[in-house]
Amino acid sequence: MEQILANGIYLGSQYAMIALGLTLIFALMNVLNFAHGQMYVLGGFVTYTFYGQLGFPFVVALFLACATLFVLGALIEKFLFGPVIRRSSREESTMLLAAGLAFFFDAVILLVFGEKQRGVPKIVDGVFNWDFRLIMPYDRILICVLAIFSIVGFILFMQYSKTGRALRALAQDRTAAQLMGVNVDRYSMIGFALGAMLAGLVGGLLVTITGVNLGMGGPTSIKAFMMVMIGGAGVISGAIAGGIILGFLEAIGLAVLSQYGDITYLLIFVSLMIFLAFRPQGLMGKPWG
Amino acid sequence: MTTLLQVQNITKKFGGLTANNDISFEVKENEILSVIGPNGAGKSTLFKMISSFLPTSSGQVLLNGERISNLKPHIVARKGVVRTFQETTIFKSMTVRESVIVAQHLRAKASLAGYFWGTSAAHRDVEDFGSYADELIAFLGMSAIADEQASNLPQGNLRALGIAIGLATDPKVLLLDEPFAGMNHDETMTMVDLVRKVRDERGVTVLLVEHDMPAVMKISDRIVVLNFGEMIAEGTPREIQNDKKVIEAYLGSADDEIGI
Amino acid sequence: MLKLSKTQWIGLAVFLGAVFVAVPMTIAAFGRTDLFFTLTSVGLLAIASAGVWLTFYIGRINIGQGAFALLGAYVSAILVTKAGMSFWLSLPIAGLFAAFVAVLIGLPILRLRGVYFAMITLVLTQVFTLTALALPITNGAKGITSIPLPGELSLFGITLIPDFATLGNPRVAFYYTTAALMVLTFAAMYRLVNSRLGHLCRSMQQNEELASSIGVNISYIRIIVFAISSFFGGIGGAMFGSIAQSVYPSSFQVADSVNFMLNCFLGGLGYVFGPMLGTLVLYFGWDLLFEFGKYQLLIYSSLLIILMLVLPNGLLSMKIPGLSPKARSGPEVAGKKEEPGQ
Repeated sequence: MEQILANGIYLGSQYAMIALGLTLIFALMNVLNFAHGQMYVLGGFVTYTFYGQLGFPFVVALFLACATLFVLGALIEKFLFGPVIRRSSREESTMLLAAGLAFFFDAVILLVFGEKQRGVPKIVDGVFNWDFRLIMPYDRILICVLAIFSIVGFILFMQYSKTGRALRALAQDRTAAQLMGVNVDRYSMIGFALGAMLAGLVGGLLVTITGVNLGMGGPTSIKAFMMVMIGGAGVISGAIAGGIILGFLEAIGLAVLSQYGDITYLLIFVSLMIFLAFRPQGLMGKPWG
Repeated sequence: MTTLLQVQNITKKFGGLTANNDISFEVKENEILSVIGPNGAGKSTLFKMISSFLPTSSGQVLLNGERISNLKPHIVARKGVVRTFQETTIFKSMTVRESVIVAQHLRAKASLAGYFWGTSAAHRDVEDFGSYADELIAFLGMSAIADEQASNLPQGNLRALGIAIGLATDPKVLLLDEPFAGMNHDETMTMVDLVRKVRDERGVTVLLVEHDMPAVMKISDRIVVLNFGEMIAEGTPREIQNDKKVIEAYLGSADDEIGI
Repeated sequence: MLKLSKTQWIGLAVFLGAVFVAVPMTIAAFGRTDLFFTLTSVGLLAIASAGVWLTFYIGRINIGQGAFALLGAYVSAILVTKAGMSFWLSLPIAGLFAAFVAVLIGLPILRLRGVYFAMITLVLTQVFTLTALALPITNGAKGITSIPLPGELSLFGITLIPDFATLGNPRVAFYYTTAALMVLTFAAMYRLVNSRLGHLCRSMQQNEELASSIGVNISYIRIIVFAISSFFGGIGGAMFGSIAQSVYPSSFQVADSVNFMLNCFLGGLGYVFGPMLGTLVLYFGWDLLFEFGKYQLLIYSSLLIILMLVLPNGLLSMKIPGLSPKARSGPEVAGKKEEPGQ
């Protein structure tokens, strides 16, 4: 029981961060970022390169991963999504662009890093063991704590910083924000960059535990979509709730259903459909939720 | 005149907020009845409940004694109560004629499969839809713009298009959602004439919600006045004009004037 | 009963002539029989894409066709290998079963709109892959292999379709079968779109609220259309399984679902025959890039991105104003939740 709880918190904190990035981009630009999982993988590979290959301290590598994804996100918004949104009336266009980007990142990752699974040395050794009721390696605990700090930091940033307030205004009502003097183009770019950065940050954190490989991108995006649907798209609290719920469902499923094979996700999906039948907007998907 | 539509003790609550409280009135056959009230009086909530676009919290709406509230919108339409929308709700990339043809869905005699296989019933329907569309469009004076795409039409024509779409379903009762909103005096008078013509020549009962007082006074046989979700008066335009409560309600809200 | 103009008749004749006579003859003349397989694939993918296009027609972005193709492939494979059923009977059953499952799944998810529907259908594809891995009847990751080729189809003792195993080159037979299926599919699509159901779909695509106010049972039509769409997916998948003589959980994945969607976009959402064109261009485009070896995906995705930048409204630049997010939102389902906030 304690083990499931701990695993749930661990998984949930990672997932919540992935969902946060996705929902931020969605809230700001109404873009469903198919390439989110690939951005996560990229973050993992950057961290792998600097920490695992070049021997930089982990924190520096993590920072570089964030910076890379931030810049990448900003460029993608400025030169790809921005122009397409301006010129196309259909939301499908951005979806196509995002799908193209996902393929593109996959191709780049394949060319630069190859197909192999990559791992990095542990950042801390040892295993926390409480009477065999709760076993958790210290590095997992550390990563989990870091993730929770990042989430709290992000929420504080959105609540209290000038940028955060502008982003929230933009997410609530683009036109009104513009009238209030918010530089829409600039903050769209910052928001997209932040969303990408969050994906990269999780990738960088998790590479120390799960390693990273090319094939992780797509499934990560899919999990992020599920979390966003559970919590309600475009809502920060919803993303966190969705992430934690999915984390716990997965932890419980893996513990309870393991003897039946890999049916956890099947059950999660069926429950999600039933849930959406009653609440299509997700848990917190209401305006200003 | 017989009673066609009965609104019985309708109440709508959103959380702790009461949008409509215990509203009851009747619409007689072939009359034009308007529901008016200052902004926020609960007109559009009531309108949506009558057309089943919103469920009621309590109370019901009857058409010829049969309940039509808390159903699906398309079922209410089938029973003969059809609403119009304000001008943004149209089939944007269809022409006027196409819109009116597609809106004759309820008049179809052949099944969907029949249309697919091209049965003779379907062919008769298609011809009938076409000629009825032309007739309706001519009736509403829109022949000149019959082949214009809806998204290219000016606001005034869009309202008429909305009425054309509603009429194409052969309704017993047509519910009009603020048909005069945002119109200048001349446009309003043209619309008043059009709505009257629809009632007089098509035998359609009209229930409309509106806050343009002069137009409502001119067009209505009877008027129901809402204020803060309560029904405060019901009567002929003359009675309403002299009703103390109504005058107070309208004086109380600064941005609307009674202007008679 | 089809009412076609003279040009349309000529176009149809040219198309049929090309598909059934000119292309096979050209291929035979150049001895490139491998092209039969390529074109068969294009045809089958076009059938599945046609289904996706149809869901677009009611204003839903469907990224779940891979799930139904996979389902169809498994149903047919299981019926043929485990129950010994004739492939020709299993094919329509596969389609109908996919349609049946689409009805069950569609009841809850078709209420979602816009990106919500897109997301859930995408997840659906992944879940079907996982299901195929988990269920005993699908044989897990090993899949179902050595599926026999389609047998003889005869009616009252007259052979309509010969046993594929006895043919010198079953690929040619598959080509003709697929071509016939594709022509049937698109003829049905054309008919459907130009009949009353198509008009109602169009009205729903442009404004679901208004459609329901004129008496259209929108949830019923959505289900019907989704079922037809998935029927096409099931048929396409079942044929694929039969050609490959094997089905694996990876036969149709998320990437395939995305590609079905891309085919429709590329061909243009305004034309019934758009998915066919889109599939042809994308499939051959991908094949041509094979020359570039490991840079294939990079160039392909770059081209896609550039295409979106240059022609944000698709290859044929077909604009469907009714598909804009505004027209699709409404208080009934999506309206409020399209509005982001925190």
